[in-house]
Amino acid sequence: MKPVEAEVKTGKTESGKKFFFTKISFPLFGYILKRVLIFIPTLFIISLLTFILIAAAPGDPAETMLSRSSAEGQASDKLATERSYRELRHKLGLDLPVFYFAFSNSAQSDTLIRIPTKNHREMLDRMVYTYGNWPQIETYYHQLKNLEFSIIATKKDSINTNALIELRNTAAKTLIHHEDVVLAGLYADLKAQAASASNLTEIQTKAAATEAAYNKVKAEATVWKRYVPAIQWSGTHNQYHRWLFGAAKWFGTETDPTLGRGFIRGDYGISFFTKRPVKSVIWDGLWITMLISILVIIIEYVISIPLGISLAVRKGSTYDSSVTVALFLTYSLPVFWIGTMAIFFLCSPDYVEIFPPFGLGDAVWEDGFFYKLGDLAYHLALPLIIASYASFAYLSRQMRGSMLTVLGADYIRTARAKGLPENKVIWKHAFRNSLLPIITIFASFFPALIGGSIILEFLFTIPGLGQITYAAVIQKDYPMILTNTMFAAILTLVGYLVSDILYAVVDPRISYSKK
Amino acid sequence: MAEATSIKAKNEQGYWAFVNKQFRKKKTAVISLYIVIVLALIAVFAPFLANEKPLVCKFKGETFFPVLKDIAVGFGIGEFQPQFQNVDWKNLQYDMVVFPPVPYLPMNQDDNNIHSKGPFDEQNVPSARWKHWFGTDELGRDVLSGMIHGTKIAMTVGIVSMLIASVIGILLGSLAGFYGDENFQVSRVRLWGNILFLFFAFFYSFGTRSYDITDALGRGLGEGFVQLGISILIFAAVMVVGNLLVIPLKNISFLGKQVAVPFDLIIMRVIEVLNSIPTLFLILLIISIVRKPNLYVIMGIIGLTGWTGIARFIRAELLKVRNLEYIEAANSLGYSNAHILFKHAIPNALSPVLISIAFGIAGAILTESTLSFLGLGPADTVTWGQLLSYARQIPQAWWLAIFPGFAIFITVTTFNLIGDGLTDAMDPRLKQ
Repeated sequence: MKPVEAEVKTGKTESGKKFFFTKISFPLFGYILKRVLIFIPTLFIISLLTFILIAAAPGDPAETMLSRSSAEGQASDKLATERSYRELRHKLGLDLPVFYFAFSNSAQSDTLIRIPTKNHREMLDRMVYTYGNWPQIETYYHQLKNLEFSIIATKKDSINTNALIELRNTAAKTLIHHEDVVLAGLYADLKAQAASASNLTEIQTKAAATEAAYNKVKAEATVWKRYVPAIQWSGTHNQYHRWLFGAAKWFGTETDPTLGRGFIRGDYGISFFTKRPVKSVIWDGLWITMLISILVIIIEYVISIPLGISLAVRKGSTYDSSVTVALFLTYSLPVFWIGTMAIFFLCSPDYVEIFPPFGLGDAVWEDGFFYKLGDLAYHLALPLIIASYASFAYLSRQMRGSMLTVLGADYIRTARAKGLPENKVIWKHAFRNSLLPIITIFASFFPALIGGSIILEFLFTIPGLGQITYAAVIQKDYPMILTNTMFAAILTLVGYLVSDILYAVVDPRISYSKK
Repeated sequence: MAEATSIKAKNEQGYWAFVNKQFRKKKTAVISLYIVIVLALIAVFAPFLANEKPLVCKFKGETFFPVLKDIAVGFGIGEFQPQFQNVDWKNLQYDMVVFPPVPYLPMNQDDNNIHSKGPFDEQNVPSARWKHWFGTDELGRDVLSGMIHGTKIAMTVGIVSMLIASVIGILLGSLAGFYGDENFQVSRVRLWGNILFLFFAFFYSFGTRSYDITDALGRGLGEGFVQLGISILIFAAVMVVGNLLVIPLKNISFLGKQVAVPFDLIIMRVIEVLNSIPTLFLILLIISIVRKPNLYVIMGIIGLTGWTGIARFIRAELLKVRNLEYIEAANSLGYSNAHILFKHAIPNALSPVLISIAFGIAGAILTESTLSFLGLGPADTVTWGQLLSYARQIPQAWWLAIFPGFAIFITVTTFNLIGDGLTDAMDPRLKQ
């Protein structure tokens, strides 16, 4: 934060203004351009950070998206489920490596991620950790899947029904266990169960083959491989690249939706929860949150600047001290508490019913412009008051402080000494200088408002960015969370930029040409 | 030497005495400090203030202290008496009994007072002793008890998460402020070597042992810590060996050339990136990938996202301090940079950090209650924000809307007022 420098301003205001518009405006554009260019790496790092955090999330989105109810069904059902599951994973790009490269050990394999079922992936990862020989483990896994499939595909008859049900359970258990002791027991069970019915010889041989494959894994273990670091290079064929840039051609009319056009081309992926494109949801929300934030900022500045000045001018009076205390208390009032109380007491038929408790109203623009506007204003009034009061209190306190600092400066004393009317001293000399710190605060306000939108929109059920994010967090809808976080970051960065520009407009001494 | 120490002690006493005197001038800050002490006492003695078990009781001729026993068992000393297993404490035939002021635990459901009975509603209780003074919630849980135990949660979250944030913030902020971009010089081979060794150390200590650690943590905290300790030892060993290997290589002139580590640049970039994501979004993002957020996770998240303010504060302070004469003096006396940083520079820059810690505690408590209010807070405990959120579901229960929120407000305000008082007391420039 820049210290308040109350220096003697040289030159007349008019010439200063002229100077600003003629000479500074050009470097200012250069400065803005430079700032925008700096955003790109920052946003890039943010995208990396959020993407990698989300990639580390537990749970398999594809698994949650498909209700896997047919696990107990027929062989064809099971196969169909597995196929659709594999296709969904492919469509979402989940079968790709997460990033361009990965640090790992030489025992791990990049084909592990293609195994569709999450439990199986975990089991295989454990096996790789214990034995370190992926080729043998892969063979073993295929044998095991083969065995499971044979069990499911075998026709049930009066002799083998019980045996098949037991075999199926045991095989499912075998697929998720890696511990040697457990597996030994499971294979003994498998063999016994297969032998219990006379017509299951095929399964018996397959069970024996699977156990042999398992024994081969144990016999040919290469544990040392785990201690040799390796870098796995996957090129641009990875989840992050696909999310950010998309796999579709840049200048082509590719219509295959599975390829995706990437975040920077306006394709934000598919919501895990609604299964609709994220884009269709996010723009409406963004518009509402932007509208509320901008309105709140206008309200705050319009009220707090005059209030802060009036407090500073009447410093030490009862008015000043009582309002200052009130402002401090207001600032500490938690928004969600005041919001809850407001909804509780002002929107309820049990107490006073002045405001609508939720939503943005159901009027549409077709009902008439002013009708819609009125409806919107009616629904937004309480949220706007609730969103503005806390930072308005803070802003007024800052304005008072900064005005006091300026009023204590030498040039104000000079202005007073030469007999200028108090009004002129305050508005012409002190006002503009006292605005500087208030504008720096703007930079921290904007992210606070965007972050605060989560609480505000939750309270009043406004379908904005915050509400969408909240719902997405509850539903673990990662593409939605990722996109919302990116947009929140972009809005924040834009807020920083605006505050920089305002700073330059208010204080022409600031030169942006050399920096 | 002894004389020097005594002068130093006297000076320090002088500074703190001055701060103390200035702080005491501000009545609101002093009152706030007392309120915080009261809140801390409530937090510490919560099990004695609100509990289903009696403080003292005489049962079948024997005297027991069930609440104390509870705490002892919690610490792993002693075991529960067999005659009190799964008993209804309220309806035992005692010879003599003293219950805590609020004879309910926050989780206890009073079946006679379900569907949120208010303080002024008619409650189905045997006597005023058992009245729910602040009402009950939908399931018949006592609100006052929840608020008393919520104090514990709020204070713990505020202090622990700020402790985490302070450690990170002070460390990174002082590195950035003291060394800047030029002052930390190492040879090329050491710089690149250390980056490489860091990778190897991480690989051998955590990468190759990942399942060993998670399995041990799954079996128990003790075993987990043993495995973590082994990993940290491996980490340290790799780093030490690596740095010893570097020494002979320094004689090669290209590798031995001194280069600066731009701490300031790197740390400020990190802060910039973190500040570009609105904190609540960042916290929600992290919560979405945690399976079940418990209290420790919440504290960790708030701490890990809340250090940037402190880091910037101490960086700015050290930028000033490092050009002062006594640092130059220490330099010319031949003290090492690390010695000067930790022994002289940080202690002198630390006092203003207290201010941002006070404000930070208020912020952390507010964040935690916001998360609880949104239903994303610690799932295993009762918190103020959680109680407040029940008000949204029951439109008649004004006591749920007012009391928990007021507790949050008072706590946040007092910490803010203390921060305000400290600002005035420590920074004489701001006195007006």
